[in-house]
Amino acid sequence: MRKFSFMMMSLLAGTVSAAVPEFELHIRDHLFFPATLDVPAETKIRLMILNEDDTPEEFESYELNREKVIPGKSRTVIFIGPLKPGEYPFFGEFYPKTAQGKVIAR
Amino acid sequence: MKRFILLRAVALFILCPLAARVLADGLVVDKVYHPYVDALEKEIEIRSVFQDPQPGLTNKAQVHQFSFGTSLSDKVFAEFYLVGGKDRARGFETEAWEVELKWQLTEQGEYAVDWGLLFEYEDEVRDEIQEISVGLLAEKELGSWSAAANFLVIREWGKDIVAEYETVLNSQLRYRYSPVFEPGVEFYAGQNTLAMGPVLQGIFSTGIRKSLHWEAGLIFGLDKETADTTWRFLLEYEF
Repeated sequence: MRKFSFMMMSLLAGTVSAAVPEFELHIRDHLFFPATLDVPAETKIRLMILNEDDTPEEFESYELNREKVIPGKSRTVIFIGPLKPGEYPFFGEFYPKTAQGKVIAR
Repeated sequence: MKRFILLRAVALFILCPLAARVLADGLVVDKVYHPYVDALEKEIEIRSVFQDPQPGLTNKAQVHQFSFGTSLSDKVFAEFYLVGGKDRARGFETEAWEVELKWQLTEQGEYAVDWGLLFEYEDEVRDEIQEISVGLLAEKELGSWSAAANFLVIREWGKDIVAEYETVLNSQLRYRYSPVFEPGVEFYAGQNTLAMGPVLQGIFSTGIRKSLHWEAGLIFGLDKETADTTWRFLLEYEF
């Protein structure tokens, strides 16, 4: 049954996400650490976002076409890319004046 | 590989609707759903469709939907609708209420295609007609382009209708030019409907976690059974 479920998911998804490089992004005091994240271009990235604050934050980037709420004291994963070389800004929608950063794909 | 992915996106947008030329009552032109849920989000939405008379009929059709929705988790979004309609014979009246659940199945970008499910229950006010819909939502990102498709199976029953199954397939290809302006094209296939036309949409931030999302489309009939033109509008306040 588990094998069947796996086959069905593979069929639906087209491809299964193989080992993709993982990067970490921390939210602390309504700031992103690191504020600049260097990632390889043309490669799908698994980005683990850890919110160390007590309050929720939302990772948002139109350029990356992603928005994801991370509750306080929790973590979540988003997938970005493959990206062309360039800079992709992101911000925290709850604290947009302080929570800012960018992904640089090279 | 890129060519293969592009071909799959084109198939998602165009070929699938052709397979759905089965029957569906009511207006097929509505909106195209995306398989994503944003946690901690609420929304108020107004959706209107204005359609020319279908061939053989004299009345233009209008359907207006007012809804309130809220996310129940980071994967599930619930929405309650009141549906109103207007025609020359009866004027404007509330026609139905509807509840809807959207379930995000996969994380955006994790697989080649993002997937979700849609469940709807509708109960007509004036007539004894109920309807349940189950839909598969798909979306594929291609750089600045996004292709989305919804395939719905609908079951209608009640004293005032002959029970039947119907299918509808809606799809959209849009260019993510800027947050406030995204042009695209939509394709609809269902009962007495095979239609396609341009759409514009965008989103304006009105504060922290507050925004106004708008969509407007002019959908043209592609065959003799479909109304010549259908206008659709959507205004959604997210908070």
